[in-house]
Amino acid sequence: MRALSWCGGLALAASVLAFPFLVNAYWLSVGVLAMFYAIVTASWALLAGYAGQFSFGHMAFVSLGAYTSGLLVKWFDIPVPLGMAAGVVVCAVVGSGVGFVGLRMRGPYLALFTVAFSEVLRIIFVSEVEITGGSGGLEVTPLFHTRSDMPSYYLGVVLLAASLAVMLALVASRWGLFFRAIRENEDAAAAGGVKVMRFRVLAFAIASAFAGLGGGYFGHYIGILTPDIGSVDQMGLVVAMAVIGGAESIIAATIGALGLEFLVEALRSYGQWRLVLFGALLLLTMRFARNGLLALAWEQVRRVDRMRTSRRAREVGE
Amino acid sequence: MPGPSAPLLVEARGLTKRFGGIVAVHALEFAVRPGELVGLIGPNGSGKTTTINMLTGHLKPAGGEIYVRGRRADGLAASAFAALRVGRTFQITQLFSRMSVLENMLVPGLARPHSTRPAVTRAARQHLEFLGLAALEKLQAKNLSGGQQKLLELGRALMLDPDILFLDEPFAGVNPFLRDEIIALVRKLHAQGRTFVIVDHDIQALQRLVLRLVVMSRGQKIADGPVAEVRENQEVLRAYAGI
Repeated sequence: MRALSWCGGLALAASVLAFPFLVNAYWLSVGVLAMFYAIVTASWALLAGYAGQFSFGHMAFVSLGAYTSGLLVKWFDIPVPLGMAAGVVVCAVVGSGVGFVGLRMRGPYLALFTVAFSEVLRIIFVSEVEITGGSGGLEVTPLFHTRSDMPSYYLGVVLLAASLAVMLALVASRWGLFFRAIRENEDAAAAGGVKVMRFRVLAFAIASAFAGLGGGYFGHYIGILTPDIGSVDQMGLVVAMAVIGGAESIIAATIGALGLEFLVEALRSYGQWRLVLFGALLLLTMRFARNGLLALAWEQVRRVDRMRTSRRAREVGE
Repeated sequence: MPGPSAPLLVEARGLTKRFGGIVAVHALEFAVRPGELVGLIGPNGSGKTTTINMLTGHLKPAGGEIYVRGRRADGLAASAFAALRVGRTFQITQLFSRMSVLENMLVPGLARPHSTRPAVTRAARQHLEFLGLAALEKLQAKNLSGGQQKLLELGRALMLDPDILFLDEPFAGVNPFLRDEIIALVRKLHAQGRTFVIVDHDIQALQRLVLRLVVMSRGQKIADGPVAEVRENQEVLRAYAGI
């Protein structure tokens, strides 16, 4: 099984790296957006899937990171990477504030609280026309001054790989264990000595920081920011990506985001019907595969492997 | 039983808790010395669980003071009580259901400062061996039987290396065989020097185990002393059985 995981991982990595050489410019731009959604979805999976905090305001942090970076680069003429780093820091700070205020809330209450936060932020971006350009948009310095999307794509690959490395190290550490313990049972975690409030706020801050990173990357790639990035529609898409892939696994959520973004584009000719299809897929996933389709598929592979192993053992015994 | 001059491990002075207009615990005076094995009993709704929720930081008292080894502790979070080596189990078993048995044990161990994963894993396996759960370490906690879940919860509390353990209704809903097993485990742990406060409303089960009984009724302590003495207390009999 381990060999199979390695082979699958290597095949996926190879196709991601070779992708720009195999597709046209349109699909390459879809690839860039897929990298953005993968970073955001993986970080939402960290917050909701691991730490159990169902936030519906994650895309608000994407917009906060994007506007922070875009505005700082525009006002102070700082390099884009520095602007993106500032966006990450601002999102971590605001995320810890939101996490702290939402400490006493669980489940639907936290979701509604974060929807409200998201809408407040969106309305501020719409209203402050002199600063943000309002609904007309804010022009942002591009990531690279080239016509090709290839550099942006590979930057996305690097950011995604680095984000995944940090997130996976985090979930494998004692912090990751505490996140899951808090998700499972806060009282039991507290009785076990886990500082529940600290780790809930920490999870919010870390996930928000990665959302801010995604936002900075997206904003400087697109070149124009509108408040709609932080809309509830966009948040719904990220949740669907995570749930269909598997919200309790960062890798599964990432693959879900990559797969769904390409599927959305591949089915564009079906217009609104593709959204009906995704809705149905989401419903079926939640009903029959609560850990996502990838976990379901992986479980089937493991079952086949177990059957083969036991058959081999019987044959050896005979 | 430790003498009255032994220093107090946990002490409550004038402990009070109100829920709205209802006084759940009123001006409770309660002290436990190291090495004691105390039973806290009372009819349903007498304030036993509220008391241990306050003594372990899961509820903030409305009044009164709590001391752990002489240090003022009321108002501290539950995690701070755990850091003071105050462990507990719950009336309704509280586990990390979708985490493995071993991971359940690792959480309290790794929450302790300066702990390392290899040392905590070693300790967790030793406790699982002691509890007879070693073969199940990879199983998700939700897949254990009710009795095994009770034992795992006790094991998780032991990972704090607690000086005092509050067990909230450890015999509720368990079969007689498992009840005897839990009693035997508590006796062994007590012999190793652990202090216990066991909350239950089943006086028959507790009197087999504890040396001292504290009886609560309607949020107040009505008796405190050796088992034989408390059993004959008329106020206890009245509160308990309406005699």
